[in-house]
Amino acid sequence: MSAARRRPGWARLGILVAALALLATACGDKPLDTMDPAGPEAQSIKDLIVPIFIIAGIVFVLVQGAVIALWWKFRVDEPEDPADERPGTYADDEFPDQVHGNLNLEIAWTIIPTVLLAVISVFTLITLFDLDGVDAADDDLRITVVGQQWWWEFQYHLDGNTDTPPDFVTANEMVIPVDQQVPLLITSRDVIHSFWIPRLNGKQDAVPGSEFEWVVEASEIGDFAGQCTEFCGLSHGYMRMFTNAVEPAEFEAWAAEQVQSAPLLDEADEGFEGQQVFLANCASCHIITGVTSHVDADGDNLADVDTWDVYDGANKIVDPAILTAGVAPNLTHLMSRNTYAGSFFDLYDDDGNVNRAELEEWVFNAPEQKPNNPENRQGMTSFVGVLTAEQLDDVVDYLETLE
Amino acid sequence: MAITEEPPLELTTGSAPAIADRPLGVLTRPQGSVGWRSWLFTVDHKRIGIMYGAAALVFFVIGGIEALFIRLQLAQPNGTVLGADLYNQVFTMHGVTMIFLVAMPLGAAFANYLIPIQIGARDVAFPRLNAFSFWCFLGGAIFINTSWVLGGAPDGGWFAYAPNTGVLFSPTNGLDFFAIGLQITGIASLVSAINLIVTVVNLRAPGMTWFKMPVFTWMMLVVQVLLLFAIPVITVALVLLIFDRLYDANFFNVAEGADPLLWEHLFWIFGHPEVYILILPAFGVISEIIPVFSRKPIFGYPFMVFSGIAIGFMGWGVWAHHMFASGIGPISVAAFSISTMFIAVPTGVKILNWLATMYGGRLRFTTPMLFAVGVVSMFTIGGLSGVTHAVSPADTQQTDTYYIVAHFHYVIFGGVILGLFGGMYFWWPKVFGHMLNEKWGKLNFWTMLIGFNLTFGPMHLLGLQGMSRRIQTYSSGQGFDFWNLVSTIGSFVIALSVLIFVMNIWLSKRNAPNLPPPGPDPWDGRSLEWSTASPTPEHNFDYVPDIESLDDFWHRKWGEDENGRIVRLASAAEIAQDGSRTGVHLPSPSYWPIVAATGLPLIGYGLIFNLWLSALGGAVLLGAIYGWIMEPADDPDAGHGHGDEHDDEHGDDGPDDEAPAAETEEVAPVG
Repeated sequence: MSAARRRPGWARLGILVAALALLATACGDKPLDTMDPAGPEAQSIKDLIVPIFIIAGIVFVLVQGAVIALWWKFRVDEPEDPADERPGTYADDEFPDQVHGNLNLEIAWTIIPTVLLAVISVFTLITLFDLDGVDAADDDLRITVVGQQWWWEFQYHLDGNTDTPPDFVTANEMVIPVDQQVPLLITSRDVIHSFWIPRLNGKQDAVPGSEFEWVVEASEIGDFAGQCTEFCGLSHGYMRMFTNAVEPAEFEAWAAEQVQSAPLLDEADEGFEGQQVFLANCASCHIITGVTSHVDADGDNLADVDTWDVYDGANKIVDPAILTAGVAPNLTHLMSRNTYAGSFFDLYDDDGNVNRAELEEWVFNAPEQKPNNPENRQGMTSFVGVLTAEQLDDVVDYLETLE
Repeated sequence: MAITEEPPLELTTGSAPAIADRPLGVLTRPQGSVGWRSWLFTVDHKRIGIMYGAAALVFFVIGGIEALFIRLQLAQPNGTVLGADLYNQVFTMHGVTMIFLVAMPLGAAFANYLIPIQIGARDVAFPRLNAFSFWCFLGGAIFINTSWVLGGAPDGGWFAYAPNTGVLFSPTNGLDFFAIGLQITGIASLVSAINLIVTVVNLRAPGMTWFKMPVFTWMMLVVQVLLLFAIPVITVALVLLIFDRLYDANFFNVAEGADPLLWEHLFWIFGHPEVYILILPAFGVISEIIPVFSRKPIFGYPFMVFSGIAIGFMGWGVWAHHMFASGIGPISVAAFSISTMFIAVPTGVKILNWLATMYGGRLRFTTPMLFAVGVVSMFTIGGLSGVTHAVSPADTQQTDTYYIVAHFHYVIFGGVILGLFGGMYFWWPKVFGHMLNEKWGKLNFWTMLIGFNLTFGPMHLLGLQGMSRRIQTYSSGQGFDFWNLVSTIGSFVIALSVLIFVMNIWLSKRNAPNLPPPGPDPWDGRSLEWSTASPTPEHNFDYVPDIESLDDFWHRKWGEDENGRIVRLASAAEIAQDGSRTGVHLPSPSYWPIVAATGLPLIGYGLIFNLWLSALGGAVLLGAIYGWIMEPADDPDAGHGHGDEHDDEHGDDGPDDEAPAAETEEVAPVG
């Protein structure tokens, strides 16, 4: 088989692969695409890295080209009959010039990359310090972001003061006004997580015991997907989140809604049975502001607490047992979100109807739906054998009232 | 070196003295050079090197199978091959296995086998310690892997970030196996590092000054120095982790005020030099291969050496580039960003020197050469993506995504694995006395190259498209489907390639009797190891050569005529030593290294399950140390020629013109 006959086959295969690759790259959403920025931070990172990719691409082509050229020009073909000679043997007179080195060349190819890298360093540092720090005013919206196994909590400080209890607490989806830089304080209550909305900014680790400043800003309206990117145990792959950028007016309306407590129902109200099931089974972990109370480690009933109280000020850990028992997502306005359970499941279908069956399955037997380890107090427990079908129905009815 | 200069006992050749009052526990040293005992008790650096290599290849297959499971799980969205718990264990063990149980011991295999014969020594400086290193490594490696059947493998990732590795978050014993097992293999690495440093410093043949040492030996020396300083750091970290996990200490307990970044710093102060510990052996290997198949000396020898040393130094100043998203602050980020940029310079110098070595050469693309050029080409890709990580703002997008996975596989697979595979093809005839088949070898290379690029190339795209590392699955709406499937297909091509390699080993051995023996110098080699018989005789060299120049052996074969043309002075067959000399004084085998090494995993199991087992392990270890100390430095029963005054051990005293005369006297009957 001659090389000439082989090449078209290779070429066809190459074209096929390239076409498939293009198809795969062109089609379909890439909600986490780092090269498709939707905010100024992600944009300046892209602006920094693209020229560097181009430089790297040139060096790549030069080196690979050199390898191919050296092969082309200097190779010695293997003997026709391999039995004649052993591979890699040479005739006695088959010697190239015995060059041992060249000082000027060595100096040149030490200095040229050094200069090139120095230039890249300058732009790197400019961008680094440019991105560092917060432009927002002191009384602008700030959000404390708390990672937990395996979901994100967002504590909203509408007045920008993170030393006082938040105005409200939500989970998994962080709503922000568009075109406004929102400073974040990122921390964790258990292990290290990493907060990352690729289309808005790079990632910042959420380290327990420390609060790190970070910002997000969206320059377009949309729901921007994120994924916890520091390995955080069993369900790490299922720990997702969204940042939803909305018009400022819409944000105001949303915030005004979120500040409201949920009504405490009494016997006459519709949904009362579900509320009671919730209080009996779910309230030890989940908070519904205005409805739940919290039983602390000493068995004392703390009326109407939020996570701020439980954690003795948002982020100081008081009891390592709580670390994993955790307080689960605040459900006060559950139905105002699009997703639940670490943003892994959609709350609504495409027509805007609640995915009721899926939600029921989750409430009833969470460990079946997503990797959880309730025996070790990590993640949501199973209610198989605890809740009757009727109770399950009631409690999910009740959840649907949490607008 | 005044350690074993004096013969410990007054002996006369051939007759074993009666030792009337042999202290308790002092055994006769084992003898014999065939059978399984000769392997268990060997202190021969070559056998130890072979065992390191064999063990590494076995673990390569195990780690590879783990990789295939990962790829199967990720082949399609919402994969169900592995559950989340098992997936976490499998990717953790894949990393631990490939780094600590494959790449490091495979490097150690080359170091053990080649350093002594590249510098013209009889063995390493401390042969029994060398055996101890190997058995420690194997014991630790098996210890870690037994976690699979003893309650679950470690599940915290090879980087084991605190506090996720605390008992609270990882209650199985997996991470105990990880932390104790890596201490045991760490002892192996540390002991071996000291041993090889002493060997290179003290046991070089007369005339072999520092800058006449082969580049491979140089790179290995740098690696040993890195190990000497890096292993203690990971040891500290692992001790803290062990105390946290087993004795409720609070080094990483945030509730008691600990800062988990302590672990990150300790781990990466070890972890980044570790990268160079992995890659420099491969750099050394291909620096030997490329000149031979270019028929030119290495281009810029001193620059090759100094760039290796520079990488070794600078490797200590870049660790925090693994932590650009950890919250270390912009000043630290800036500093480590810059240092990381510039570590690319010495690496680039190496790449360009290899290319310059090839330039103008007579290039024969044998299998070793293909692998070596593969390293130049593939490592460059890893190096370039490495520079993009140094761009710290961009790294906050890249870190912990598949872009990083792509990067370090181009470095570790494209650099280390390709390089060491090339090394195996290159030195196989020296080690086993027959060549590996070239046709299969080339097929091995091309399938590996294609499979490798199919597997890891797409990961660059996946990472930039936002696919995180260590996620057990992904959803179909995330746009990761196509490239993951390609990557999985690629991984099976690699598996096929490894299968071809294993087949090649077997077929080549089977066909060896039908082929002419390769002789001492099948490739027209340059360094000393080619000047002795293949396979290397037990005593390495019949007489220790005097070294006059870099590539001394080559210069004995070739000279220049008056016109500056290169002419043959002698053929390898004429000047190579035939290994026929007998009666060379060699260290005797010993029972104690393997016994001592057995104690350590026992102590480890005891710490996890029952302290009585630790007591037993401790007793075994102490007993072995006692036996080791009391063991006669040589075996009186073996009847070695003790008339010789250990001439060859003085090999580093400089050129010794009388050596050949002394050698002839040394020939003595051997029992």
